[in-house]
This record gives sequence, C-alpha cells and structure tokens, in this order.
Amino acid sequence: MTATEYALRADGLGKRYRRTWALRDCSLSVPTGSVTALVGPNGAGKSTFLRLAVGLLAPTTGSVEVLGESPATNTPQVLSRIGFLAQDHPLYKHFTVAELLRLGRSCNLRFDQGLAERRLAQLEIPLDRKAGALSGGQQAQVALALALAKRPDLLVLDEPMASLDPVARLEFLQALMSAVAADGMTVLFSSHVVPELERVCDHLIVLNHSRVALAGDIDSLVGEHRLLVGPRTNADLDKAGTVVEATHSERHTTLLVRDGGASAAPGWQASPVGLEDLVLAYLRRPARQTALVEVPA
Amino acid sequence: MTWLTWRQHRAEMYTLGLLVAVIGAFLLAVGLPMHSLFPGGAGQCVGITVTDTCSNAIRQLAEDHGYASKMLSLFSLVPFLIGAFFGAPLVARELELGTWQFAWTQSVPRMRWLAVKLTALGALTAALAGVFAAVVTWYRQPMDQLNGRFTTDAFDVEGLVPAGYALFAFAAATAAGAVLRRSLPALAIALGAFLALRVVVAGWLRPNFQEPHRLMAVVAADDKTVDPGGSRMATGNHLDWVITSGYADSSGRALSFPEAAQMYVAAQREGVQYSAYLHERGVQQWVEYQPADRFWTFQLVETAIFTGLAAALLALVVWRIKRRVF
Repeated sequence: MTATEYALRADGLGKRYRRTWALRDCSLSVPTGSVTALVGPNGAGKSTFLRLAVGLLAPTTGSVEVLGESPATNTPQVLSRIGFLAQDHPLYKHFTVAELLRLGRSCNLRFDQGLAERRLAQLEIPLDRKAGALSGGQQAQVALALALAKRPDLLVLDEPMASLDPVARLEFLQALMSAVAADGMTVLFSSHVVPELERVCDHLIVLNHSRVALAGDIDSLVGEHRLLVGPRTNADLDKAGTVVEATHSERHTTLLVRDGGASAAPGWQASPVGLEDLVLAYLRRPARQTALVEVPA
Repeated sequence: MTWLTWRQHRAEMYTLGLLVAVIGAFLLAVGLPMHSLFPGGAGQCVGITVTDTCSNAIRQLAEDHGYASKMLSLFSLVPFLIGAFFGAPLVARELELGTWQFAWTQSVPRMRWLAVKLTALGALTAALAGVFAAVVTWYRQPMDQLNGRFTTDAFDVEGLVPAGYALFAFAAATAAGAVLRRSLPALAIALGAFLALRVVVAGWLRPNFQEPHRLMAVVAADDKTVDPGGSRMATGNHLDWVITSGYADSSGRALSFPEAAQMYVAAQREGVQYSAYLHERGVQQWVEYQPADRFWTFQLVETAIFTGLAAALLALVVWRIKRRVF
C-alpha cells in the first residue's frame, strides 16, 4: 500500500469534543481516483471526519494521511492539493464573484482562474454579482468552481447538495461529475441521501454512532451481501457471525448476511440486495453492534 | 492575503479613518482660535502675577473652551472604538458565517492567515489611535501649560496611552470573538473589560507607578489657603499631579476631617485666624504628588500595561486557533 494507491488513509482516527466522541476508531482508505460517498445519519461524525481530512481539525487519537501527508500540518503544499466545499458552501456574501476569484488567486499556490471563469460562464453566473445575491444553487456552483480552480488532487465535499432544490442538485451533480471525468481527481463527499449515490460513486463509507459501520468498493460490498428468506424462526441464526440484520414477519424470517455468497441452507431462498437496503440495514444497527462489525481497511 | 485583509476590513478602515479625520478636523477648527489666545504660548501666563493680556486670555479660555474637558472625557472612548471595531469581527465573523472553513482551506496556512490579519489590523489600530492622540496633544497644548498633563482629560487622551488602550481593545475584542463566536457580544464583552481595566489602572495603579513625593511643613501663621476642608499645600510646580494632601499634628499623626473642623470652630470661638491657630499648635500640612516631569515615564508604564495584556490576549487567540477547537 503506497501513498499513490490511496488518496486518503485513516488509522485509528478519533476526535473528541470535550467529553463526547464525534468520531472513534476510524480506519479506512480511499483509493486514488475513486469517487467515495460518506453516508450516515446526522450527527454520525461525517463533518468531523471530513474536517479532519482537510486539516481544519486535528485528531485526538490516531492519524489521517492525505496524499501521503498529514493535513494537520497545514502546510501550503498539502492545503493546495485539497479542495474543500464545506456544508452550506459558505462564501463571503458581500464579495462579488470576481472578488471571490481574486481571493482564490491571492490565497493559493496554483489557481486556474481561466477554468473557474469558463465554468461560471457556462452556468451564466455573472462575475459582477455579489455572492449573496445569487441563488443557493449558483452559490454552490461558485464554491465548486473555486474549489476546482485549485486543481486539487483530492476534492472533499460536505453535504454539497443538502440545501439545493432538485433541479440545482442535478445541475450540481452534473458539474461535479464532468469535472471528475475531465481531471480524474479523487472525490470524497458526504451525504445522507442514498439513492443519488449509486449513479456517481464507486466507493462507500457508512458512518454510524461515530464509528465506521461499513467501508469498501460498492460492487464488492453488494456482491458480498445477500438476503436470505426462510420460515420464521427465533433461534439464534448468527452462529457464523455473518448476519447483519434479521427481520421477522408473521411467517418468514429475512436475514441480511455478509457471507460472500456461500450456498444457502435448505429451506432458505437467497436474493441479491440493493445498495439502499444494504446501507439502511447498517444504519439501523444499534451502537454496540456497530462496533462489533469487522471492517476490512 | 494582503488583498483579502484589505477587502474584508475596508469598511472598518473607511469608517474609523473617517472618525479620526472628523475628530482631527474638528479639534483643528476649535483649536486654532484657542491657540491664538496665547500668541506667545500659554507658558508665559503662569504664575501669581500675570499680565492683563494673559488674564483676559485665561478668562476667554474658560468661557469659550470650557466644554473641552467633558468633550475630551468622551473622546477617551475613541481608542476603544478603533480597536474593538477592528478586533470583534476578525475571527468572530468567520465563525458566525462558517467562512472559516473556506478561508482556512485555501493554500494559506491558518497561522499565517492569523498572523497577517493581526499584524495588519493591529498596526492600523495603533496608527489611527496614534494620529488621534497626536491631534489631541496638539489641541491641549495651552491647557497643558496651564493645568498640567496629569488630569484624566489630558493623560488619557495624549501621548502614547491611546495607542495602548486601542491595542488592548483590539485584542480583547478579537479574543472575545474567538471564544464567543459572535461579533456583537464580543464587542460588549470587550467594552466591559476595557472600562474595568481603565478604571482599575487610572484609579488605583497609576498614582503609584512611582513612589509619590511628599512635602510636609508647619502651617505658616499667615497662610490664607488653609481651610478645614483640606490642605491646599503647593508643591512648587502647578503642573505637578497632587494625589493627596492633609493636616497632621506636631507629632506627624494625620488629622481627620472632624479634628480639623473642631480646630476651625475653636479658632473662630477664640477669634483668631485659622492659620494662626494651627501654626500656634504646630499643626503641619502635607502633600503627596507626582512631579510633572514624570509624565512620559507614567505614559510608558501605562502603555506597557495595556500592550502587555493585549499581547497575552492575542496569544490566547493564536493558541485557540492553532489547537483547532472549532
């Protein structure tokens, strides 16, 4: 595992605010060139993880490395390689768009002003307008253009579409994806909306109760899990420790198992599981169980 | 970074620059006629026997410029305004609006971001307060020569201390903003801290920056200045800062006001001059004072106190932002 193989690696990463842990024992890696979604309910530690990744926070325990360097060192070199779009895409609202571009130029080692201007021109966002006078979707686009103009190797976005209406969401996603396709950068973004992920992501991290519940390549994760439906039973079915979730109806018991596709016991029917159901099953698990799931780094 | 600092804080720069300019222009406009009352300088009009021109000028000064003292007391808040309006939004506005996440993920490390802002705005704070103090110092020249520079309407708005006050207000507002994450409450906290420190320093510490001089002598039999309300013993220089004065009996024990008043009643009953009565009994009067030539020493000490505390508060801001507690 070299630094070039992974854009981001976290090892035992934890962050505590006073007495509460916002994030614990977080060990995972984000492959270079991947588009990784960070999923979890509100308060699961998504923003904390992303802020640790871009060096806005320093870890309480463990370490995080981005592009082979610790973002907590806050050197211009490491900062210049990370683009960050914070939640609600905060911008200086009384700056005009042109002034925001000037800010980007004066505060960055490399800043592709031409790229930003072309993107904004395509979206018909006037440069002389104050940022605060733009629509929410336009502000998000300006923030994205500023982050992309840094030509980052890793682009980190915290709930980039949470505050956008459906049309703006789609436009934003399109803008993001076309930039990824053009530049091939690594993208890590958080979301609590699962359906829209499948189209754009190839990797997934599920955070729940401040811990990593699931992480990996989406195709293999979906392949490793399946649903087993059989006669209703209350017996302890989890002898092999592979059952993620068991649900019971009047006559049937449905199991979500992570067994890599071994042959089902007689009387049980196997079927593949969708990404959304898979994620939801992990999010429904109570705190103590979350900790027990072994996560391959 | 320099451009960003200018762009983000130019509204404060314009407003505070304008404030100082208006105050300067006003003091110049009312100061020129005042200065012209004393063509040879007010220093010539000092002493018990002065020329008619002088006594006319002094009367004119009291009549036409008597408001100066109240006005200057009000002006002692100007250093606060300068410092606090630069300091309060410095960190608080970024935290309020969430823009700290934007500002600190450009390629400028946040410690450099903070260093540039603190240096630029701190320097501007000190410079504006310095200009303000220079204008006031010029304006007060005739009054300083007549009344000394140790009264609060002089000492607190002249020389170096306004810059020190302004730097303290700047640091207090910045630190309060970094802790409270809101500009307006930060401004209020900074004002409270500023007033408290000013009162403590001016009221309790300043009179003792250096050991006061003390004069003590038996009351002269024909001293017309004595009265039971208190001694008005002269120090030999009317520009000195008299801190306390009073009477003491022949053994040197200080006399309380009732004791002095009793003696006054007794003197009246006996039909003798109060001063003669005191003289007869060997009563002494004493005065504690700070000589006028200690003005700059005191200015330096007071500036050092406020600047030192400002530095400590700014260190707190640096520590907080370095630790990334947000």
